[in-house]
Amino acid sequence: MKKIFFPRLFQLLSVIWGVGTLTFILMRALPGDMAYRIAASRYGQDNVSSDAADLVRQELNLDQGAVVTYFSWLKELLQGNLGRSLVSDEPVWQILQHMLGHSLLLASVALFLSFFIAIPLGLLGATFGKKVDQGIVVFSTTIRAMPVFVVGLIFILVFSIHWNWLPVAGFGSPEHIVLPALSLAFTLAAISNRVVRNAAIKAFYAPFYRFAQIKGLSSGRTFLRHGSRHIALPVVAFLGIQLVGMIEGIVMIESLFSWPGIGHGLAHAIFARDIPVIQGAALLMGILFVVLNTLVDLVCYRLDPRARRQA
Amino acid sequence: MMVSLLKHATFGQKCGGLLLLVLLAFALFGNGLAPNDGAYQDLDAILAPPSETHWLGTDHFGRSMVARMADAIRLSFMLGVLCVVTSSIIGVSLGVWAAWSGKKVDAVLNVFVNILLALPGLVIVLLFAAIVPGSFFVLYLAISLVQWVEYFRVVRAVTKTTVDSPAMQSSQMMGFGRWYLFKRHIWPAIAPSVFTLATFGCATAILTMASLGFVYVGMQPPLAELGLMMVELFPYYSDAPWLLAEPLIAIALLVLGFHLLGRKSS
Amino acid sequence: MQSFLRLFGRPTRFFLLLSLFITMTASAVAADNPTPTSQNTLSISGPFEFTSLDPSKNGYIYTRMQVLETLLGVDNQGHLIPELATKWQVSDDGLAWRFTLRKGVVFHDGQPLDANAVVKSLSIAMGKHGTLARAPISNIHAVSEDEVEIQLTRPYTLLGAVLANYANSILSPDSYGRKGNVLAMSGTGPYELFQYAPPHKLVVKQFAGYWGKKASIPFASYLTGHRAESRVLQARSGQADIVFGVDPASIPMLQRLPNVSVFDDALPRTIVLKLNSGYPSLNDVRARQALSLAINRRGIANAVLRSPGSQTEQLLPASFADWHLPNIKAPEQPVVKAQKLLASLGWHLNQDGVLERDGKPFELTLITYADRPELITVATAIQAQWARIGVKLKVNMSNSSAIPAGHQDGSLQVALMARNYGFVPDPLGVMLSDYGRTGGDWGAMNWNDESVDRDLATLQSVTDKKVRHQLAQHVAQVIYQDRPVIPVTFYKQHTAVNSRVKGFHFDPFERTFYLNDMVFVSR
Repeated sequence: MKKIFFPRLFQLLSVIWGVGTLTFILMRALPGDMAYRIAASRYGQDNVSSDAADLVRQELNLDQGAVVTYFSWLKELLQGNLGRSLVSDEPVWQILQHMLGHSLLLASVALFLSFFIAIPLGLLGATFGKKVDQGIVVFSTTIRAMPVFVVGLIFILVFSIHWNWLPVAGFGSPEHIVLPALSLAFTLAAISNRVVRNAAIKAFYAPFYRFAQIKGLSSGRTFLRHGSRHIALPVVAFLGIQLVGMIEGIVMIESLFSWPGIGHGLAHAIFARDIPVIQGAALLMGILFVVLNTLVDLVCYRLDPRARRQA
Repeated sequence: MMVSLLKHATFGQKCGGLLLLVLLAFALFGNGLAPNDGAYQDLDAILAPPSETHWLGTDHFGRSMVARMADAIRLSFMLGVLCVVTSSIIGVSLGVWAAWSGKKVDAVLNVFVNILLALPGLVIVLLFAAIVPGSFFVLYLAISLVQWVEYFRVVRAVTKTTVDSPAMQSSQMMGFGRWYLFKRHIWPAIAPSVFTLATFGCATAILTMASLGFVYVGMQPPLAELGLMMVELFPYYSDAPWLLAEPLIAIALLVLGFHLLGRKSS
Repeated sequence: MQSFLRLFGRPTRFFLLLSLFITMTASAVAADNPTPTSQNTLSISGPFEFTSLDPSKNGYIYTRMQVLETLLGVDNQGHLIPELATKWQVSDDGLAWRFTLRKGVVFHDGQPLDANAVVKSLSIAMGKHGTLARAPISNIHAVSEDEVEIQLTRPYTLLGAVLANYANSILSPDSYGRKGNVLAMSGTGPYELFQYAPPHKLVVKQFAGYWGKKASIPFASYLTGHRAESRVLQARSGQADIVFGVDPASIPMLQRLPNVSVFDDALPRTIVLKLNSGYPSLNDVRARQALSLAINRRGIANAVLRSPGSQTEQLLPASFADWHLPNIKAPEQPVVKAQKLLASLGWHLNQDGVLERDGKPFELTLITYADRPELITVATAIQAQWARIGVKLKVNMSNSSAIPAGHQDGSLQVALMARNYGFVPDPLGVMLSDYGRTGGDWGAMNWNDESVDRDLATLQSVTDKKVRHQLAQHVAQVIYQDRPVIPVTFYKQHTAVNSRVKGFHFDPFERTFYLNDMVFVSR
């Protein structure tokens, strides 16, 4: 257990410091006068002027030097205070909570759907002959060759424009989540179904599996007792690797479908130069990433009795 | 070298290589098929379907799509190759160094890598692209910064086992220099993985640039870039569907080509 | 439950629990807003987001959604009309304006509208960034229960129009916190605030106690859609009833749909190139004229903006007769003329086809912003058109704030913008801040004309219609000839409206969406 926790804890701390510092430096280097940009967000594009910018500069104390701001920010961060949005003056935590809820919902639905696509496809490829498997390979390769937003675009064109079955963008009702989650699920499943297939083949041809069959267990029972766990292990481990693709996909998909999650929020905050929100969102993504990776490690640990015996 | 590569290549790899060669040829010589360069506008001839003068039609400014597609694919190739060369050189040299030079270097490099790995690559690139929007150089820098880590991790792991192998140890005892040891033992061990990583890395770099163009923080108009062209041409999907299809197909073919090239066997 | 789950292997159990969790979260999110449904809600989609309840910041969204109202209104021709004030009188010296308030108006929180509430709202607005802060006001006070007087330090004909600006809306006294910040919005409009989820979603509910024409549609929602493509798709699928800011490229496709009609409405908003007249290659009027001549406005209007006839060489459309010059004709052979003008300034083409003078190429950097999708396409077209006369233009897409910032630090060379001359319903308001003595963030830069300055100053105090017309015509004439800015096209607002909505009409001053005039028809 310690072997899992300590490196992850260190990673978590370095994320908080590293990501925080990195975003801080990057944001200081952003082009354009910050006061003007914030004024444009606050007062609307017809009413932004040097008067408005001066007002913002005074109110937010933007004239402080970089070093002073950095240390005061670091102090605040250590106290768990992420500050308030420069644009809306809302506490960053509140904004992040709202966005996090939506992102997690989208991510979990997408992940869930991807299992429903990947596991049957993988098992199909492993059990039914070469022709079926090759068909699945072609399908996976095609989807993988497309960026996730292209998959999303095609879904929009087909399901909401051609057939008008589902809404295009927005949030608030269950049918809004279908298309973004499905596009994400397809790109994830395009890779994971191969992992399922390879793990399944390895398990099916393993001596213990053969033995169980010879012993006279029904094929369903053999699969549940001996196959499922051996297939699940590499699949869950692979989840950890897929997390990157998942988070990157979320950024793109949220932007395409106007889904108010963290990815969309981050891209938008960069555009508006809302530094506290950028820092908060990037930090949250980093922390989430590490935490989820730790969870994956733990699940693997639970699934694999060998690892437990070693510890 | 070339011959042996071809001999060992699978059918898929040959297909991938051929596909990429065709795309590269189009990127380099495609401009010759167009009557004007990709920036020339003719506002009286917009959204023209493919014809003898404009093989791929014209876009919403009346620009020749052949020229613009060639420009865009050339840009993608350029970014892909630059990123792969940079990140593989950095990743391989640091990876070998970390595995070969004792614990201290290894530990320091690992800390660094762990920090970088804690954030999804696209988020890092997004933050970088925000500093100087529309800069090819910054995009290249950010993507390379993200990508070298993978080479590092793989090369370090493979090198570690190679360093401990009897063959290498006996060579070392015979007094061969470090460069010889690298060439004779380490490089052959890591080369296949590096090649696979490079092809996939190239595809990822191209996808990343297109993704950034798609959320408006990548390259800026009027530059021809595949992701940007998709957003620009999307409104015309019902008037001129072939226009939207062109960059979509191009990016799919590029990525497919690299993926096929990189796959060892299935 | 336990034994049921035991039937499955451990991983399967994990997935089942996960799915249960997801279903529960999904239903919790769906239960968020129980009353508004797609049947009883008019859903509106637009590009601009809102982050504050403060009318001085995002007031436009609340007057458009008809939560807030102002003392005076404006009709489609730009004439002031009664709104919360039924009558207004200006003293002979022009220094005192007296407003009589409408009787029987109640705020959404149930309080009646009285003079004190108006004084409070206007005084708070005066202390914030906005149009009222710039007016020469010495005092605002209540004369009686339903009369308010505003005293000025000098005559200011603009005051009526300024009071029609969204930032000067009247809110219930209880809406404000101690420092004048808005805590809970309570206005007087036909709709009241129902759900406020910045920056994306706003829902309003019909207000039964409205003084005027009551709304027939129970709810209306405003959803911010950042991407023009997504908004068009929402219009297409019927997910949004009204979509504002449809990008020109999608108009032909939307027009072919049976369930959507597209409205093209002219606005007092003009796409304009702002030039730095102090920049070495732009300081001669002939250079600015040449650049103007080289622009193919007809091509931009037809092919890029898809609204034939919107090309213009003037700031304001014919509907503003005071400010519009009637006899301007498009020049013949403009490109040849442009080349001659540039040659007379000593520019000649070098080997690369770029103009050169004293070894220096004719290069300019243009900044524009992404909020309005057509700007970047117009910039791309201008870039290609100027390249043909040998002017090299670098286009830099930035944030709208880059224009005032570049004006102030002097780094701006050329900017492309969509300027709203009806921000204050009298164009004089914007003309004053853009072309006054020092130029303005969104107007002339390093350009000054004494007669324009003088006439703009006089216009603030003169009330005689004929004199006003002459003065305004003179200002328009000088700006046309001297080209401190180069108008390109008028801006057309394209709106997609679903066929289930009847009664849509558009306010060119963008003060209101006229929601209370709309009804749902069954298909």
